Amino acid sequence: MNALFQQVYDFVEERIGLKTLEAKLMKEPIKGGSRWAYVFGSVLLFIFIMQAITGMLLMFYYIPSADHAYASTQFIIHEVDYGWYILSYHFWGSSAMVVMVFAHMSQVFLWGAYKKPREMVWLVGLALFGLVMAFGFTGYLLPWDQRAYWATTVGVEIMDKTPVIGDFLARFLKGGPTPGQMTLSRFFVIHVMILPGALMGLAGLHLFLFRSAGPAGPFRGTPDELKAKTDFFFPRQVWKDIMAMGVVFLIISTLALIEPVQLLEQATPDPGDYHPEPEWYFLFLFQLLRWKVFSGEFGQFLGAIAIPGLFMLLLVALPFIDRNPERNIFKRPIALLCWAVVMIGITVLTVSAILNREFLD
Amino acid sequence: MTPSPEKTPSVKLAWAVSWSAFWTGFPLKLIVALLLLAAGINPWEGGGLIALLLVSIPIDIWALGLTARTVFLERLGLDIDAPVGFTLWWQGAVLGGLVLGISYYAVSGAVDVGKKVAAGIIGLIKKVFPHFPIAEQITVELLLWTIPVTILALVLLLIWLKLFGWCIKRLIASSGTTSSASYFERVRQWDSARVPDDVGLMITSFGAAMVLVTIAFWMVLPVTTPHPHQDYQMPEVSKPAKPMKPEDALKKTENSLAKAEAILASLEDAKSKESKKPERKGK
Repeated sequence: MNALFQQVYDFVEERIGLKTLEAKLMKEPIKGGSRWAYVFGSVLLFIFIMQAITGMLLMFYYIPSADHAYASTQFIIHEVDYGWYILSYHFWGSSAMVVMVFAHMSQVFLWGAYKKPREMVWLVGLALFGLVMAFGFTGYLLPWDQRAYWATTVGVEIMDKTPVIGDFLARFLKGGPTPGQMTLSRFFVIHVMILPGALMGLAGLHLFLFRSAGPAGPFRGTPDELKAKTDFFFPRQVWKDIMAMGVVFLIISTLALIEPVQLLEQATPDPGDYHPEPEWYFLFLFQLLRWKVFSGEFGQFLGAIAIPGLFMLLLVALPFIDRNPERNIFKRPIALLCWAVVMIGITVLTVSAILNREFLD
Repeated sequence: MTPSPEKTPSVKLAWAVSWSAFWTGFPLKLIVALLLLAAGINPWEGGGLIALLLVSIPIDIWALGLTARTVFLERLGLDIDAPVGFTLWWQGAVLGGLVLGISYYAVSGAVDVGKKVAAGIIGLIKKVFPHFPIAEQITVELLLWTIPVTILALVLLLIWLKLFGWCIKRLIASSGTTSSASYFERVRQWDSARVPDDVGLMITSFGAAMVLVTIAFWMVLPVTTPHPHQDYQMPEVSKPAKPMKPEDALKKTENSLAKAEAILASLEDAKSKESKKPERKGK
């Protein structure tokens, strides 16, 4: 058996240079050794692969038409063997992806890993962040229940406020005056074809740029300590990555079992008793827009487009504004304070939006 | 330069041990919780909770022992000649029980008082600004009571860490010996404690454990949703008709015919006997 395996290995090695590939992938030195803080990128890749697998399984039964989307989703939940679990895993997996993107970006920010020579890694990472949010937004409509329909309506209305391209974007996505068959078709195509392709391409570029620039390493420790701890990617970092993936899989599965997907009524242009709101990760923005200061045409533009747009621009410009080579977050108090304010702000506004539901009835 | 245990702050030491121990034991506990959930048992109450807590005891002892030894070796250059996991587990559990008990009453009391105070302040603001919008009101009120409550919870956590740090320092003082190994050797030592050098063994055992857990999970996971939609019409499932076996059907018919024949024969027999009987003459 070993001889046969060796023969197969030699055959492939002779043709594609497995040893070189293995050396490139596994023998990459990690300055300061393996760390749990480095697992977020690998975990994101794992979540994406799981989303792709569960998404493909769901597509065997899902019908992307306004007449059948709701019924086929109900069929998946109630009739297909383990369909409820696969759908719930896919649902919670999308939330896990958003959480993990925030965690990954936070780690890169706090560790100063966006600084020279890793500016391009940061920029491509920001584009990937946008894609993940777009995945969540387009996937939310597909079950075609009231929650899906109205979350999309709210989202498209926010998009509509973008100057110059907003009107075109909103009309293109909706494909009509109200969300309907064209909207569903377009969201479906974007969700299962355009975004996965774009994400795979950008994730590949992100990895290539990361490997070219090399890992930033810890921001603390003497050169002797870092040298003593320096290790190859395999086996210790691989082990940590696998463990983290396992934990994430367990958490998503647990959430899928505690709170499996349950649809509301089928989508209609009349919200009835349902109070429209977007997905939970856009709730902070939704709550912000309820503030008096952001009311009116200009206020809505300010809250929905100008402030988030400026924030994203600031993130894009960050590696070029912050040229100080110091990476230790405890020696960068402004950066630490800004990160804390943003995180607390998002948390407080999200909780406020949940509390606000009581006042809507 | 390795810092001495006396100079290392108790809170920092306790945090290093307990944070790592939490994440070391967490995946194993999560597997148990997941299996219970898949089997339809709630792991957060009743029997499920008891089972989870019981399983957590050996996991926590193992996790505390592993991470504490790693921290001692890495940060303090110390080897410990004592049952580290068990000692720290019971001391941490006693302290945890005490601080958690106090925290429960302190935090819930603070939440009640905080909410009342926040509502009072909002009332005052509304007197000055009668049209104080509801969205802003919710956020201001939330911040007013969550900030002091969060500070209180953090202080209680720090108290637990301080006390647990003292326990760790006492253990080090009684059983710690300075390691003669160089920093480089110690790095390899703690790496080996956490990740076995034998990669083949590691992958095989990990893979086997995963396969077992996966099989157990799929065996107990419900096939259809345990939470059906209230309006969803489950299709009526009619009992499938038994498939007809021609041989059996023939045999059955033959038996019925044979029975009928036998009955007919016995009836004819009885009739012929009756007709042969001599007629009784009347008186």
